[in-house]
Amino acid sequence: MMSALADLFPFPNRIRNTLRKSGAAFIRDAKLAVSYDLAFWTGWLAIVVQVIGFYFISKLIAASPKYGYGGHAASYFDFVIVNLAFVRFQATAVQCFQSAIRNDQLAGTLEVIMATPTSLPVIILSRGLWAFTFTLTQVAVFLLLAVMFGVNLSHVNLLTAVVFTLLTVLCMSPLGVMSAASIMTFKQAGGTSFFMGGVTQLLGGVLFPISLLPLPLQYLSWALPITHALNGIRGAVHGATLAQLAPEAIWLCVASAILLPISLWSFSRAVERAKIDGTLGHY
Amino acid sequence: MAVSARSTYDPKAGTDQHIVPAVLVRDVVKSFPISLSIGSWISHRGSVPRRTVLHDISLDVRQGELFGLLGQNGAGKTTLLKLLATLCIADTGQISIAGIDARRRPMAVKHKIGLCSSDERSFYFRLTARENLRFFGAFSGLFGDRLEQRIEEVAALVDLSPSLNSRFDSFSSGMRQRLSVARALLGNPEIIFFDEPTRAVDPLHAREIRALIRDELVTRQRKTAVLATNSLEEAWEICDTVAVLHKGRIVANGPPRDLNVGLMRFVRYHIRLDGSPDHLVASLSAIDGVLRVSALPVLEGVSLILEIDPGGNSINEVLRALANSGTMVRGFRSEEPQPFDVFIGLTHDVSTS
Repeated sequence: MMSALADLFPFPNRIRNTLRKSGAAFIRDAKLAVSYDLAFWTGWLAIVVQVIGFYFISKLIAASPKYGYGGHAASYFDFVIVNLAFVRFQATAVQCFQSAIRNDQLAGTLEVIMATPTSLPVIILSRGLWAFTFTLTQVAVFLLLAVMFGVNLSHVNLLTAVVFTLLTVLCMSPLGVMSAASIMTFKQAGGTSFFMGGVTQLLGGVLFPISLLPLPLQYLSWALPITHALNGIRGAVHGATLAQLAPEAIWLCVASAILLPISLWSFSRAVERAKIDGTLGHY
Repeated sequence: MAVSARSTYDPKAGTDQHIVPAVLVRDVVKSFPISLSIGSWISHRGSVPRRTVLHDISLDVRQGELFGLLGQNGAGKTTLLKLLATLCIADTGQISIAGIDARRRPMAVKHKIGLCSSDERSFYFRLTARENLRFFGAFSGLFGDRLEQRIEEVAALVDLSPSLNSRFDSFSSGMRQRLSVARALLGNPEIIFFDEPTRAVDPLHAREIRALIRDELVTRQRKTAVLATNSLEEAWEICDTVAVLHKGRIVANGPPRDLNVGLMRFVRYHIRLDGSPDHLVASLSAIDGVLRVSALPVLEGVSLILEIDPGGNSINEVLRALANSGTMVRGFRSEEPQPFDVFIGLTHDVSTS
């Protein structure tokens, strides 16, 4: 895909090579993922189980304006399914970069990759290509299944949904790159998975609206990218335009602009530290 | 020829003095922290003590030279190679590759080098050899038909063409090592670092890899190669220059033949004589520069073993004494110093001093 793109347009050589390298990383990761066929197929099965599980749970909970957008009532199923679908991007962002580095440490491939004339941003960011593409496919299937179980997606503003999906990926990726930096330094995931998986799900309004949280926690929630990403996506599902969701979009843009350079800098510092301590290939 | 830790061998002798060395290392020191645990970091208040693994390393590798780094396990060979390949950063000192400062411009250095890792795990086990080479080739800057063609070429060089479509996890240790050699050659680099490339390889393929490095890459293609090895025979057989590393120091550096001569403490001669010439043993022992004479009775005579100081010309005196003794000399041969003797001499001196 990336290689084809590189060949299609008259990009400068540097960009062309970056696209081709990214394409090579995409193919590698796709083939590796598919080669673990049990994990690959059970991942799809988990989606089915999750949709069905929340379908029955939502039968216990009455529809409420708290679950909707702009004061319109919506079912809990509508609310939670969209959240669960898109929180996958956060999980992917946090997991894919750190597990890529961890796997390369374990496989002994990290040092060899680092010895190739490939820049650190390409080495780390290209690891997200397959993961996000796969997640996007999973989200699509997730939503398709949810529609079959009664979720109403007829009002979706497609442009807004696409923009917020991109902004979600853009804003979440730096968190993942920072996790990868911590793997490079500490050689284990430590608290990042707990923080990203547990705390942000609690405070980010994934399973329930953040309006139910105490006020101080609502402020904390506002500081999390996932909150704004989910607000935007839920808005898009209910037909909101980009202009209506501008505050959320701006928040995500600004956060991305700040976090991306910081994350790449921290990753580069972690690599430098590993080179000084001689631990680049350690695990 | 004297052998020193710095250099016994002028790498630029007989060449253009303005040619930039392919690899230049000056006064490099490298240390690693003794512990990486958070507990250790806290107990040392953020300044964990470090253990020096390379001490004041200086060496030059000429363009088109096959340079050997010889040493026991833990001598610092791999660390030095990692420094050259920009995978480690030196505490102090200067490293330049093809005239490029490795610390300041590591990316430019990476365009010039290929690395053959000694770690046989350094591939994706669930991909085929071809898929692995495709990925690493792309990251080395090769794409499309050029990459496919290059994969075929390097696979043929290491005799892996029939196995290109087999998964890496089905490869034997030797095949993995050979694939690592192939990968190092993919980007057609000017300078190639080999870390024990024949370690797990069977004797036949080891010989082919040595021939590939020596004859094809260095002699024919004029590439520069740095070969880390703990095989004396390998270093002596194919390297133009060998630096012997011991406990993080270069204890000798020069062409293997010069190391042999420079480190010889004596030249040993074996002389077969008729009869039992006790008087001859006494007169030979008295010659200045003769370090030891021993006589072994053999069938119809005696075998003398003489050890002579290589610095003087005592051998002339010995020959004169033999001629004057009137004893029939049945055989006379000198014994070349063996790489093992040289290596033991080098590393023994350092460890006992």
